[in-house]
Amino acid sequence: MKNGFVPQTLTEALAIRRREQVTPYGGGTDLMAEHHRAGTYLFLHRVPELTRITEDDTYLRLGACCTFTQVVNHPATPAILKEAISRIAAPAIRNLGTVGGNIGNGSAKADSVLIFFALDAKLRLMNADGERILPIRAFYKGRKELDLAEDELIVEVLLPRQMPERYIYHKVGARAALAISRLSFAGLWSVEDGKLTACATAFGAIEQMVVRLPEVDEILIGVPVAQLHRVRSQYLQAYSAKLNPIDGRISALYRKSVCLNLLEDFLDQIQSAE
Amino acid sequence: MSIPFTLNGTPITWDGSATDRLLDVLRAEFTCTGVKCGCNEGECGACSVILDGQLVNSCMVAMGRVWDSEITTIEGFRETEAFQILDRTFAETGAVQCGFCTPGMIIAAACLLQRNPSPTAAEIREALSGNLCRCTGYNAIISAVDRAAKEGCRP
Ligand SMILES: Cc1cc2nc3c(=O)[nH]c(=O)nc-3n(C[C@H](O)[C@H](O)[C@H](O)COP(=O)(O)OP(=O)(O)OC[C@H]3O[C@@H](n4cnc5c(N)ncnc54)[C@H](O)[C@@H]3O)c2cc1C
Ligand code: FES
Ligand code: FES
Repeated sequence: MKNGFVPQTLTEALAIRRREQVTPYGGGTDLMAEHHRAGTYLFLHRVPELTRITEDDTYLRLGACCTFTQVVNHPATPAILKEAISRIAAPAIRNLGTVGGNIGNGSAKADSVLIFFALDAKLRLMNADGERILPIRAFYKGRKELDLAEDELIVEVLLPRQMPERYIYHKVGARAALAISRLSFAGLWSVEDGKLTACATAFGAIEQMVVRLPEVDEILIGVPVAQLHRVRSQYLQAYSAKLNPIDGRISALYRKSVCLNLLEDFLDQIQSAE
Repeated sequence: MSIPFTLNGTPITWDGSATDRLLDVLRAEFTCTGVKCGCNEGECGACSVILDGQLVNSCMVAMGRVWDSEITTIEGFRETEAFQILDRTFAETGAVQCGFCTPGMIIAAACLLQRNPSPTAAEIREALSGNLCRCTGYNAIISAVDRAAKEGCRP
């Protein structure tokens, strides 16, 4: 085949990845949109380890080349991930686009990636010699800069099965369908005996990378829901001090105020859910 | 090595670059000109085809991706009984004006009805949400698909 390889096993895919100059091809919905398509693609859709979803005691394991449609249809997929995915583009794009490609494009606007950050997912990467597993936050080093070696592939996204029970998700986009999100927010929490026992928030599309600040969310943990108003301004100020939105088609100031509004709404939701 | 796939039921081995676009190959080499090129960016659905039973935009598919797959275009779907029903209900409801979006709409409707033989209006809208029409304002198209479903269209 000219300009392409279609490996049938992961071992074969990793051997080609090491030997040849290739671009991994998941669903192609980012690659094909690029105007200068050149080089050689490593088509991964026939590799069983990359296209299946499995579960163990600790993780729900999404093969990197699982399509959005596959993930949304899996019974064990967390509700927040289903919601975020079902708002990506339209069915024809979701039938092709993959979670690994969403991560591999390196964008802070990638909608499934926001949820992977909020869930503190891990990535399993492999090359021909073996594997390494790292938190998704460590994988993103900067704008479009990923901790992925020339000979590596993203093999699995590991979603911890232990996760907060409730969530809210917002995507403030331009158009309903097909909009690459302009600003998005995911917030998850759990309450036990009237106290917040878990809280995880993340923002997409406001900075060069998804924003996830566990040290700020920490402020809320252990606080009785009825007492949340006491730490409200401390939480919002801590967030505000860390947010550094990029100026773009939407001004930085506007983005920051939308973020703080979303956080206020999040705190209101926690209180009203009790 | 060439790329094997099935096009509208016919086995093909295609010799070309794996990075070529399915849309271009279908139109230029297999005279599937019912597959339209609207935007080249995955936004309009005019280039819709069925890849292994699933709706995709052929402008978003490289030839290497179709290796060992089955592709159905409007040219292939036209031979089915389900097409006859959709074709008629589209005409009856006035869902076709310039006709540019129609092949893509029909392919998207076929994929929906295959999964879900009696969809709600909201489900029809969602299933066609990647298919743009500059002429009709969508309501006629939604009714055409709804009517086809009620008439037992089973792709
Ligand atoms: C019309 C349209 C609408 C869209 N709307 C949205 C939207 O609303 N939200 C959103 O988040 N995205 C959207 N996208 C972008 C795109 O669909 C997603 O980013 C998708 O997840 C990309 O996945 P893919 O498999 O198609 O990627 P590909 O194009 O195959 O790959 C993308 C990048 O990841 C790399 N890669 C892929 N798989 C691997 C792997 N296993 N290991 C290492 N690297 C890998 C590739 O080399 C490439 O650099 C849209 C795209 C289009 C065309
Ligand atoms: S031409 Fe493919 S979606 Fe518009
Ligand atoms: S009938 Fe003209 S684009 Fe739909």
